[in-house]
Amino acid sequence: MSHPVTAPRTPVAAALRPRGFPLRHSRYRNYFLFAWTSVFMFIAAAELLLGLRALGQGEPAWRDYLALLGQPALLVFNLVALGFALYFAGRWSWIGRKIAVGRVGPVPRNPLPMPLLGILPLLVFAVVWILVLMVLGGSLA
Amino acid sequence: MNLIHKLEPLWWMIFGAGGYIAALFLPALLLGVCLIAPLGGLEQGLAWARIHALAASPAGKIFSIAVLVLTFWHCAHHMRHLILDMLGHGAAAAGAYLSYALALAATVATVVIVGSL
Repeated sequence: MSHPVTAPRTPVAAALRPRGFPLRHSRYRNYFLFAWTSVFMFIAAAELLLGLRALGQGEPAWRDYLALLGQPALLVFNLVALGFALYFAGRWSWIGRKIAVGRVGPVPRNPLPMPLLGILPLLVFAVVWILVLMVLGGSLA
Repeated sequence: MNLIHKLEPLWWMIFGAGGYIAALFLPALLLGVCLIAPLGGLEQGLAWARIHALAASPAGKIFSIAVLVLTFWHCAHHMRHLILDMLGHGAAAAGAYLSYALALAATVATVVIVGSL
């Protein structure tokens, strides 16, 4: 009697798009908005990289870079990108609370309440933001 | 696509690390460099000589590479799934390759630019 060398693949149904995705429910909207943060944050990081390139090219290039960022269209874009980055940080912090209370089998739940676990990382983020702004402003380092 | 699937744990690991790094540093960097500085703020702190010395120091280079590269890969993984959600499974392979190729290009650019500071 022969046995198959490998187990047969488990049949799975094709993934279906939920009805009304992505605008019908607030959960869909939040999920979709969260996914879109990646596009704005990628562009923002690329902008910062261009700033580093300008830094390497000398003082006039750095001034040109800052002047370019001062154009109204870019200011509006960066304001929107900042909104997305802040939304991302808040949502990342809120999602992270589920990792903190994750458990396998009999391992007990974290004794801290869920909302606190969602807010604590955000507070840490805010402290780091202030420190970064202090470094950029010349008060630190 | 097989390789992309085999590396799935790696993508998720970078996604997690990049998410925390982006949440910790990106909002303040964006606010300071891209919004306050162009409007005339932080003039002393972001004076070329000071900020160049800071960015060109070993710690500054490690910080810049870590923040930008992890953010790029985090965003790439998220964009891969955004493309999947918007365009369906037919676009899965193209979305994955496009997203990770963007992150790879941005990583190379970051290392070259930061290395030359």
